[in-house]
Amino acid sequence: MLDAIEVTKQFGAKRALDNVSLSVLPGEIYCLLGANGAGKTTLVNLFLNFLQPTSGSLQIGKLDVVRQPLETKRLLAYIPEQVTLYGVLSGLENLAFFSSIAIGEHLPRQRLLELLEAAGLPRQAADDRVATYSKGMRQKVGIAIALAKNAKALLLDEPTSGLDPSAANEFSELLVKASNDGVTVLTTTHDLFHAKQTGTRIGIMKQGRLVEELRSEEVSHADLEALYLQHMKS
Amino acid sequence: MFAIIAAKDLRELTRDGRLLWAGGLVVMLMLLALGAGWNRQVQLNSERSAGQALDYDAWLHQGYRHPHDAAEQGMHVFKPEPSLAVFDPGIGPFVGSTVWLQAHRQSEVKFRPAQDATGLQRFGELSPAWLLQVLLPLLIIVIGFNSVSDERERGTLRQLLSLGAPARSLLFGKAAALASCVGILIAPVGLAFAVLIVVHLPAGERVDVVYRIAWLAAGYGLYLGFFVFLTLAVSALARSSRAALVLLLGFWVAATLIAPRTASEATNLLYPTPSRLDFDDQLARDVADAGRKAWSTHFGARTQWDPSVPLSKWGAALKVDDEAGYGALDENFGRLWDTFERQQRAQGWVGLVAPVVALRGFSMGLAGTDFSQHRDFSTAAEAQRRKIQNIVSEDLIEHADRLGNAHFTYKAGPELWASVPQFKYQLPSVSFALAHHWASLALLAVMFCLSVALAQYALSRPLMR
Repeated sequence: MLDAIEVTKQFGAKRALDNVSLSVLPGEIYCLLGANGAGKTTLVNLFLNFLQPTSGSLQIGKLDVVRQPLETKRLLAYIPEQVTLYGVLSGLENLAFFSSIAIGEHLPRQRLLELLEAAGLPRQAADDRVATYSKGMRQKVGIAIALAKNAKALLLDEPTSGLDPSAANEFSELLVKASNDGVTVLTTTHDLFHAKQTGTRIGIMKQGRLVEELRSEEVSHADLEALYLQHMKS
Repeated sequence: MFAIIAAKDLRELTRDGRLLWAGGLVVMLMLLALGAGWNRQVQLNSERSAGQALDYDAWLHQGYRHPHDAAEQGMHVFKPEPSLAVFDPGIGPFVGSTVWLQAHRQSEVKFRPAQDATGLQRFGELSPAWLLQVLLPLLIIVIGFNSVSDERERGTLRQLLSLGAPARSLLFGKAAALASCVGILIAPVGLAFAVLIVVHLPAGERVDVVYRIAWLAAGYGLYLGFFVFLTLAVSALARSSRAALVLLLGFWVAATLIAPRTASEATNLLYPTPSRLDFDDQLARDVADAGRKAWSTHFGARTQWDPSVPLSKWGAALKVDDEAGYGALDENFGRLWDTFERQQRAQGWVGLVAPVVALRGFSMGLAGTDFSQHRDFSTAAEAQRRKIQNIVSEDLIEHADRLGNAHFTYKAGPELWASVPQFKYQLPSVSFALAHHWASLALLAVMFCLSVALAQYALSRPLMR
């Protein structure tokens, strides 16, 4: 569903991605681990066509990201580390707006409330201005947008960063539920525990290269931590 | 999709208070300017029609007197105030409204409101046109400078683009929101004003004024549209909202405040006009030369009013002398006015960098307050003066033989005065204005298209940097 084929991305003299290839199958949750600057966010940006690869190609559902940017984005939902919303609008209004952009039609208020509820936002907060929301609440609106879009693939860039453990756990549960429904998930994270607990497969990136790929059921948390540290030190 | 983006932007703008405060101020100024303009026009029209009636009445009832004395005293004619002068007074305050039609010389239009203006008014009259030309672009900039840059800085642009919002929808959605803000502010006031103007007009003038209003709306629409798309383009191209604001304010100051004055000075250097003193000297010399030639040709006299010409021929002499001067008057005034028009045409090209210059000419033209229409009135007034001179001279010729040398004792009566028709001036139609200003409108259309193209280019580049 999500395919990066020998992708290299060069920023001037700096090579942010070096011949990276990975493939995420439908229903998989692929967790990308790596230190800051390893190239995780660059890969996400390439899938979003915010950046274009220096060489190689990226596909979503067999569609080329560069050649068919609008078509591939229709299959995607993206949740960044900080879900950015319009502060002067309420959570409900933000969801109404972004879902209209995503699906091209206005959802009725009741449906919007259901989506917010499914994402875990308390119903009484739906009409409050987003400027008063915590990061976790904003994240939930972001999830509701993704749910409204009914996307085939989710791209998540450190989505649990800064969330309290309870909110992070709720988020993980939602991801698992989505993957059980056949949604493909590619998420970047620093959180090894989250990766092991949620991910189907785990990739470790270092200095723009994918240096390790493993199935999460084949590795214990302690082994994953040891492997990660070994790669970071080498 | 652009309608969804426009509705969201509009909702944000109304909630964050910028539209309310900045727009409210503009609307208040607009109402103030319209109110003051309307009041001024009502007063002027009433003064001018009273003045015109009184002056003609005085002409009719001047009793028995020598026709040439009557011609020397002459009469005054008053330029009617175009109904849309309330919107754009144009050059009206600087060129005056009254012409003294006297014997022997073509007078300039007098009684300029600008002569009575305070120092502060020299900076420009607070007219609705000035507000739309200068303040409304500033409002568009204040409201829209961060339309794209702020979305990028906040991260919402990332969210939007990730959902597959096409750049084209983003551009036209944001443009529609900005345009709606402007429309919400000025459309109700503009529409009410247009209705007020039209219902107060005689039925015969309504269609012409409705066309003028429609053309004005088109011109101002292109001009404000230019600022909408320019603002969006700069907002998308600039590295930050602050940089966008600085760039746009810089352009606004240069294009709406500095360029028009610079253009005026530059075209004056390119097509210099004579000083008042030089013009009057040249005119007097040319009229005198023409007069001398005519006296020589017709009467064999070496000088004008030569005693060798019998008084019985002074009626004919007056006619010859007047008609001899017409050529010199036409040539000198024509040359001066042509220079003014050349200056205006040259200024029009400045519209390529400062569209306010193109709009200003177009706006004055369609409001009926530009130089070409002032020239038309001056020409009509001069034709009336010549008509009076002819009637008076013909009367003197007619009565010359019977009175012989008693030329100065002849007195004409009310019949002669009544044979001079009252001056009636019809303002030129909208097609006259369009014929003079189509180039300005075309220039505005070109600038608008360029701004759309620039905005499309700006939003088609990678927006996430």
